[in-house]
This record gives sequence, C-alpha cells and structure tokens, in this order.
Amino acid sequence: MQLRIVLIGILTLVLATGFAAPATADHVIKVGGQCDRTGATKLVGVEICPGISDYVKLVNKKGGVLGHKIEHTEIEHGYLVDRGVEAYERLKRDGAVAVFDYGTPIVYALTPRHMEDKIPAITPGFGRADSTDGTVWPYIFPMAASYWSQAGAAMEYIKQKGGKRGTKVAYLYFDNPAGREGIPIVEVVAAKEGYQLRLFAVPSPGLEMGPQVIDITRRFKADWVVGHLFGRSPSVSIKELKKAGFPMDHVVSFVWGAGEADIEAAGWDVAQGYLGMQFTSPGRNLPVIQEILKMYRDEGKEVPAYVGGVYYSRGVLNAAVIVEGVRLAIQNFGLPVTGEKVKKGYELMKNFDLQGFLPPMTVTPTDHEGGGWVRLYQVRGKEWVPATDWFRGYREEVLAQVKKVNDAHKAAAKK
Amino acid sequence: MINRECGVYQTTYEGDMAIYPVPLARYAAVGSIGVLVLLPLVLDSHQMALVNLMILAAVGAIGLNILVGYTGQVSLGHGAFMMVGSYTAAILTARYDVPFWLALPCGGAVAALVGVFFGIPSLRIKGLYLAIATLAAQFIIEWVINHSTWISAGAQATIYISTPTVFGWEINTEFRRFYMILPAAVIAYVGALNLVRSRVGRAFIAVRDRDVAAEIIGVNIFKYKLLAFAVSSFYAGVAGALWTYYLKIANYEHFTLGTSVQYLAMIIIGGLGSVLGSVFGAVFITLLPIVLVYVVEGSARLFGFEYAAIADFLANLRLIIFGTLIILFLAIEPEGLYRLWGNVRRYFRLWPFSY
Amino acid sequence: MGFFADLFVNGLMIGSMYALIALGFVLIYKATSVVNFAQGELVMFGGYIAAAMLSLYHLPLAVALPVLLVSMVILGFAVERGVLRPLVGQNVISVVMVTIGLAQVFQGLAAMVWGAQTINISLPIRLEPYQIWEVYISPINVVAAVISGVFLVGFAWFFRKSRMGVAMRAVANDQQAAMAVGINVRFVFAASWAIAGLAAGIGGVVWGNMLGVDTHLALVGLKVFPAVILGGLDSVPGAVVGGLLIGAIESVAAGYVDPYVGGGTKDFLPYVLMIVALLIRPYGFFGREIIERV
Repeated sequence: MQLRIVLIGILTLVLATGFAAPATADHVIKVGGQCDRTGATKLVGVEICPGISDYVKLVNKKGGVLGHKIEHTEIEHGYLVDRGVEAYERLKRDGAVAVFDYGTPIVYALTPRHMEDKIPAITPGFGRADSTDGTVWPYIFPMAASYWSQAGAAMEYIKQKGGKRGTKVAYLYFDNPAGREGIPIVEVVAAKEGYQLRLFAVPSPGLEMGPQVIDITRRFKADWVVGHLFGRSPSVSIKELKKAGFPMDHVVSFVWGAGEADIEAAGWDVAQGYLGMQFTSPGRNLPVIQEILKMYRDEGKEVPAYVGGVYYSRGVLNAAVIVEGVRLAIQNFGLPVTGEKVKKGYELMKNFDLQGFLPPMTVTPTDHEGGGWVRLYQVRGKEWVPATDWFRGYREEVLAQVKKVNDAHKAAAKK
Repeated sequence: MINRECGVYQTTYEGDMAIYPVPLARYAAVGSIGVLVLLPLVLDSHQMALVNLMILAAVGAIGLNILVGYTGQVSLGHGAFMMVGSYTAAILTARYDVPFWLALPCGGAVAALVGVFFGIPSLRIKGLYLAIATLAAQFIIEWVINHSTWISAGAQATIYISTPTVFGWEINTEFRRFYMILPAAVIAYVGALNLVRSRVGRAFIAVRDRDVAAEIIGVNIFKYKLLAFAVSSFYAGVAGALWTYYLKIANYEHFTLGTSVQYLAMIIIGGLGSVLGSVFGAVFITLLPIVLVYVVEGSARLFGFEYAAIADFLANLRLIIFGTLIILFLAIEPEGLYRLWGNVRRYFRLWPFSY
Repeated sequence: MGFFADLFVNGLMIGSMYALIALGFVLIYKATSVVNFAQGELVMFGGYIAAAMLSLYHLPLAVALPVLLVSMVILGFAVERGVLRPLVGQNVISVVMVTIGLAQVFQGLAAMVWGAQTINISLPIRLEPYQIWEVYISPINVVAAVISGVFLVGFAWFFRKSRMGVAMRAVANDQQAAMAVGINVRFVFAASWAIAGLAAGIGGVVWGNMLGVDTHLALVGLKVFPAVILGGLDSVPGAVVGGLLIGAIESVAAGYVDPYVGGGTKDFLPYVLMIVALLIRPYGFFGREIIERV
C-alpha cells in the first residue's frame, strides 16, 4: 500500500512537471518539426533530427538569431500521418512560426492547414514537387531539389556520360506516391532524348526486389538504373543489382538512397562505384560542421559517428534554412516573428550557401525550390567522394511540369 | 451511492428494455452528452484536436469490438476497411459533390461490401482463418488503391477535398471539426449499444461462446459471422470517411497494418465485448504516446538530461509498452479497462455501505 | 526462356528461405494450435543476434553460429514459459493476440538494444553471379537455399525418427491421448517453441544477409501465411512445398505481370492465391482434412 502511494506520488510529480508549460524566456522564437525514429524511414530520421538540434544549439550558443534564441521542438511521429498532424497541431499551439514537415505523405496531409494557419513548412529533398511554384503554394517551400529536379539531374548525368538514342534506362522506384513523383520527368526526358525507358516498382516496404532486378538485368538489359528508393530499399537494391552483376557506376540514386547508412547496410565493398545525389555537402571539412565538432569538444562530449554524414548534414541544412528565414524576417519585418513574416523572409533568401555547405540558394515567390541544384557523389573506398560539381538538368522540362500540374490544380480549384 | 436502483419499478416493456432503465443512469448519459457538447468552451485548439483523434479512434474501435469482442472473430484488416471508406468518401465528395451526411454511410456501405467479399471464403471455416484472410485483405486493398488510377487519382494516391461545409458552415477549426464528427460518433455508439442488446447481438455472443449449441438452437453461424464482419467493416468505413473529412485528404499510407494492430490493442485494453470499453481503449491508446512524451520530458527536466539524448529510447519505448500492455491485459484482466470502471461503479453502487 | 528460368530458379531459392520460416510457424501450430503472429519477429531477433555477433563484435562464424542457435532456443523456451504458459486456459483468440502484442515488444526491444540503423551481415561468399547455361545464379542465393534445405531435411528427419519428434507429432494429433501415454505435453510445447526459434534463427541469418538486419526484417514473416495456407497449416512437408511454391510463383509472376500493372505483384499475388485457396481447399495441399465448415 505504501509502495503504491509512493509510486503514484512520483508519477503525479513527473506528469505535473511535464504538463507545466516551461517558463519561456522573452524573445524566444519557436520552431519545430516531426521526426521519424521508429517508422519506415528511421534510418534517416535518427541522423537528420540530431543534425537539426545540433545546429540550433550552435546558433543559440553564438547568441541566437540577432540576439533571439531559437527553440526547436522535435516530435516523434513514426512516419505516420495522423501522428504527424497531431504533432503539427501541438507545435502550432506552442507558437511555432516555422516547421519542418517530415515525410511526403505528411506534407500532403498538412498542406491545407499550412495555408490556413499561415505557418510555412520546408520540405528539403522531398515533399510536393509542385510547390516549387510559390504563387500556387505560398506556404510550402521545397528549399532543395524536388524529386522532379532530381530526376532531371539524373537524366542529365546519363546524357553527359554518353546517353544517346536507344540507351536503355530503368527507373527503379519505391511504389508509393513519393516514389512515383519522378516518373513524369523521366518519361518526358526519355521521350525527348530517344531513350528506352522502363519503370520498375518496388512495393513497400521495399525489402524484396529480386524479380525486378532480374528483369532489369536479364530481360530489359538496362544500361542505366535511376533509383528512387528510400528507407530500407536502397541497400537492398545495391545488393540485388550486385548479385545480378550490374555495374554499380551505372546506378544513379536520388537523394534518399545516398547516405552512409544505406552503404553500411549493403556493405562498402559491395557498393563501390555507386552514385548518389546530394543537395548538401557531406563530410567534416566544412566550416559549419567544424563548428559543431568544436561545440561537442567544448562540452566535453564524444562526437557521434554520424556527425558530418549525409543525412546529418541535411538536418543541418533544414535548421540553417529555418534560421535564415527567421533572420530575414526579423531584419526586414521586425518583431514579433509570425509565420507570415517568416514566409516572406524565406522568399528574400539570396545566394544563401552557409559557407560552401550548400549550392547558393536563391528563393523567390515563384521559385520556392531555391534553384534545384544537386551534386553526385560516388562510393569509393569507405566514403562518399564527389563525382560532379553542383549542377541541374532539364530545368525547362521540370518547370514545364510544375506549370502543367499547377495549372490543372488551379482549374480544379476554380470549379 | 444513493442506492440508485431503489424505488425504480418498470411498468412497461419499453421501460424494461431501455438502454438505461435506471433514471440516474439516464441523467448521467444525457449529462455526459451535455458535457461533450460544451467541451469546446473549456479546451484549447490542441486539446480539442486530441479529443477529435480520440473520437475518431473510438468509432473504429467500437466496430472492431463488435466483431472481435462480441462475435469472437479476430480481424487484422481493420485499417484496410477504413482505407476503403476513406477513399470512397473522398471520391464521392471530390468528384460528385456528395454531401457529408450521405458520404459517410456510403463509405461504410462500400467498406461493408468489401468486407463481405473477404469474409465469405474465410468465415465458412472455423478457426483463425479470418485473421489470416484480413491480413491478406490489408495488402490486397492497399495494392488495388495504390495502383488503380481511377481510385487514386494519379501518382499521389491522395485525394483532396476542399474544406467541408456542413449546413453552410465551413469546417476549418478544431472546434468545428469536433461538432462535425461528434454526432456521427454518438450515433455509432448508441447504434452499437442497441445492436448488442438485440436479437442479433445475442446471436453474436452465442457464436462466440458456444457455437455448437447455438447451431443446435437454430442460429445460422455463417450468416451471423458474416453479419458481424459486415457491421464491423461498416463502422470501419464510416471511421475512415470521418478521417477523410478530418484531414481533408485520403491517403492510403495512413492506414497500415500497424493501424489494424493499434485498433486491436484498443479493444483489448479497453475491454473486449463492451462498447464503452472500446471508447476507453480508444482514449487510452490515443493518449499513450502523448502521456509518454510528457512523462519522459518531465523526468528529463526533473533529472536533468536532454530530450535529444533519449529521443530514440523514448520512441521505441512506446512500442514496447504497447505490446506489453496487450499481453498484460490479456493475461491478467481480459475485460480490460471496462472491468476496472465496472469495479469503481460497483463500489459506488453500495456506498457508503459495504454490502 | 532464359528469363523465365532465371525467375524460376531465383524464386525457388527464395522459396526455400520462406519454407524455413513457415516451418517454425507450422511447428508451433501443430503442437499447440497457436497461430504465431510473432514468427517474423523471431526471425528478426535471430537476424539481430547474428548481425550483432558478426558485424558488431566481429566474432568468427564458427563461434557466432552455435551461439546464435543456442540463444534462439533459449528465446523460444523463454517466450513459451513467460508469455504463453500464463494463458494456457484461455481461448485461442487471446493467445493469438498475445503473439501480436509480443511482436510489438520484440520490435521495440530490438530497436532499443541495437539502434535504428540497418546492420549488414556479410558472409564470406561472393555476390556476383555465375552463369550456368542460360541462368545466372548468385552463389550467395545458392548458399542460403542450401542452408535452408539442410535444416529442412534435418527437421524432417527429426520428426520422423527421433523420440522427441514423434512425441511432438503425437501431441499435435491428440493431446489427451499423448498425455495418457505419458508424454510430457508441457515440455513438448516448450520444445516446439524452441525449435521454431531455432528455425527462425537460421532464417534470420539468411534473410538478414539478403536484406540487411533491422526491424523491417520482421515483415518477411507475413509472407509465411500464404505459404502455410497453401501447404496446410498443420503439415511440415506442406510448409516446405508452400514456401517453395510461393517463392517461385511470386518471382515468375512479378517478372511477367509487373510491367502491366505498374508493379507490386509480388506483394499481392500470394495473398490473392491464399484467398482462392481458402475458397476451394482451405486445408492446403498437405493439411489434414479436418475442417469444420459452418
């Protein structure tokens, strides 16, 4: 009986401290985002989210944004839409002015709410490709190459490496809406260049793709494989393609199949030559990462292995973009910071590159993507090595597709 | 307390058969509906959102409990049938401008039809074949929706509906959403209560408890099993349609196998074979991740370690607690939270006397 | 022709790996009438233990393998003792749902102990394919198939010839009679879980090598259902045949049908077959024809 009372007492105490709203200092700017640490993309989530929180910590250490501290709240959602929506509502209640929506389905689910609540969301490297046009989607910012731009870039690389009429390209994609986003662009480009294109879907959760790979290598006899896989499937695809004897340096993967974790899972020796697309610069040599390393050392903490890795750097990018948006909002529109001001702040970003970390990004009201620049890295030895410089491909086709989809959307909305 | 049954005599059959024959219980039921209606006055937007999630979960849970708790058939495909209802409602609303109150039952009806389709082969045989067949249903339905462009409207397999308007009111705040889904939920709840008290409900219970004896006295087992499955799928369809209206999109990634397992957990923890128990279970499971986060954040503040350091641990703890609770409740308290609630009620029935 | 042969052979090899998981499942069902929804998680756990030993602690294969087998056996015993024993009196539905709960616990536990990253199991066998006539065969697939095959044969022998195996078949057939003859039914229950754990452990190694080990590995356990329905829920040879059949059919169908339906055949055809089987022959090819129709 005694024990029970004690236990209940402790539980109440803990719950009470949890529920009590934390004493908020003045001028703290709140932002937030969801994180997937247990769901289908946890491979990525456990590296991206520390990247975000580390960068925010760094900024706060250096005095915050123009003197104001930033508070970032991460809410676990397991890549589930309903939990993602609930997380967003919580962030909204707590007064967030900018959010990072984690996951393409969550972006789609939350788009109407962002429009209503006027809180901008960034979706670097995924999200809805049609939100490149900010006039139709004012509060959604891809902030990095959308899947259409990535598709364009992959096809451009193939062209540069000798693609000509009759070249066989296989588009191996995760069978869900995000994976299918790349299809319109690869089809348009293949038609334009006279490539033979075939689409190969890998059903969720993307663990088995034996027949697809056999088809690609034996029946279709592809010259190039463009992969849009994520979660578990990139590493499986590497192994399967290797088992079928396909040359790794003819495999180009979109951004979410290009992390160290994927190669770790497949085996570095297996993946030699594999090409992955990046929209940040991974590695520890960059000034921003160096500062973060220094921060860890100053605190006497051991530096985790993932710092400087591909997905971690993307987290840093997310946080950096949000911070920059807030900074521009304060500079140009003053306090108090609201979602609308941050949105306008985003649209004022010019040549933002965080000391060489990103391609120079310029965001305008009509281009929420920031240009759509990517870079290809290759697996050599035990790390990712740059294979190209910043480039983008088939920009006209991509923009034409954006226009086409948005026109259809506008027409539908008018009805 | 205040010995509630004292002095309550029924003089008509209707009175005896009422859901709440005791006046105190009647007032309590009406009172709770009153509280619910007035809830938006005291809650803020985020808390309202939580309540909405709980109500949405409850509708689905009630349906599943009718199948699993009352008829004794395990189904793992609840998520899939919710998916069917969700897409049906979305298609009807987005393409054919069907009003809200019509789209909901249509979603339910289509889901029920699909359910019957999967139920027929598997319910003919005694045993756990329904569980396995509904597992198949989950994958088959997902595939069909994902791949058939007529249903999924293009690559995104997501259908948007514009902000729903009910009786001319635009539903764009959590409070309005609450009023939109509350009537449907109340109808579902009362409907289920009536169903299980009726002849059909008794047949369900007979199928669960002693199917051989039931057959002997003339209960057509196959028919009632199929009916239970159809009703449960109807509820799932309505719940899915409500989700569509709540989120304003229909997206299949929302309803996975994990969703089905979650609903099973709700009814196990809440109490198999009890409608109120389903609601308890829905509330519990919806609040669980949130309470967990608060507890961990609270102890983090108390004991001074950063959230980021234990974020991973926390996320997985939820799964473990989930599974452990299922096992514990099944082993120790199969009647779930409803039983605990019943204990409280029983205590107060005689209070302040002890017997 | 070469394409078909490729698909078929590959499918058979994967099928033998399915058969391994199906075997564990059928064992438990035969002995205890429990439909074990946590079989996939057992495979996942086996994979994790193997991966941890091989890739994280860098133990040699000769040490890792026996340790794996022993720990899986212990795990099987533990699950039976800790989770299923308390539920002995209750109806089958409860037990089934307990296995579902167990599956969640395993998933969370594995992720908590070993982290969210995918761990690679690399066996010292080359990946690139050899070409035999028109068919390309990857050595690692062959090794996986051979390992599975060896264990399947071993289990078959076990059930036919060894005392324990015969006792298990007796319990599966008629519990009361087996008790009357003096067989320790409780031990048989425990042993069936232990052996299922063992099979899952081997499955974990071969599947973990093919797919990489993380919590998603448990999802291969879902494929086991079409295999056992086709083969018969309570038949060990049925599990093998069912597994091979599903592997081959899904591979060939995916290769030929995918382009027309936009992919995903692999994931839905086995389930359609399963529903069809339920309609026409619910006890599968080899199951006992004791099906009570309603």
